[in-house]
Amino acid sequence: MSRNSNSSRRRRRPQRRKDVLHTQGGHRANDFRCTSCRLDVSLDAPGTAHRNHCPNCLASLHVDRKIPGDRDADCRGRMEALGMSVRPDGEWLIIHQCASCGELSANRIAGDDNPLALVRLALRPLADPKAAGRALLTL
Amino acid sequence: MSSHTNHNTNTTNTLSLGTFACAWCGLTVSAYAADGAPRNHCPSCLHSRHVLDHVEGGPSDCEGRMSPIAIAVLRTGDWMVIHRCVRCDELTSNPVCVDDNQLILMRMAVRPLAQPPFPLEAFGTL
Repeated sequence: MSRNSNSSRRRRRPQRRKDVLHTQGGHRANDFRCTSCRLDVSLDAPGTAHRNHCPNCLASLHVDRKIPGDRDADCRGRMEALGMSVRPDGEWLIIHQCASCGELSANRIAGDDNPLALVRLALRPLADPKAAGRALLTL
Repeated sequence: MSSHTNHNTNTTNTLSLGTFACAWCGLTVSAYAADGAPRNHCPSCLHSRHVLDHVEGGPSDCEGRMSPIAIAVLRTGDWMVIHRCVRCDELTSNPVCVDDNQLILMRMAVRPLAQPPFPLEAFGTL
């Protein structure tokens, strides 16, 4: 997810190549079970090389630190979707927050993520009439 | 001892009267909002500065500019601004001040819906 501002203005950096092999006889079989909704999720996701959240409930697990797939974090807490962000080219990013240590991370959405969950997450700031109404009134 | 107390009063004075210049728009901002809450981002452009280490606590040596990327909602309904450091890609969340630029806040809140990755027409039937 690391980009500097120069490359974001010119061209997007290509996605990081995955050098840890979770598939093909890696440390786990070809799928994982979501820690929040217990869905069995396969690791190959359309549109991304790093499946890092459940396509059904968008929850993730705090296992990586900076680089996707490095398995460097020793927290292992459940990460819940907190908000939605957008890259300058229009790609959506889910902001995850670890429920155990409060760490934040930004992850690209995958092609098979639940659209209803994504839109509910994107609409969350506008769904509350108190804050959104105050913001609109002061405009 | 007297110099020590002098030093202490100096720091409290500079803290109570403190201002900082925004790293993005250059606006001179008072370090405390009108209701006494400490400010950590510019109320005009919402940009911040990476001076606090979020993970370990204490000061950070990055000092990079942090740009606002998202709005998050707490369970209480309060809005938080998610900042990302442009130098080290650290993410932080900060509460929204009362005098923050509501236009930029609202623009960040509705920006996902401006460019949806899938057609939103199907949700009309739900």
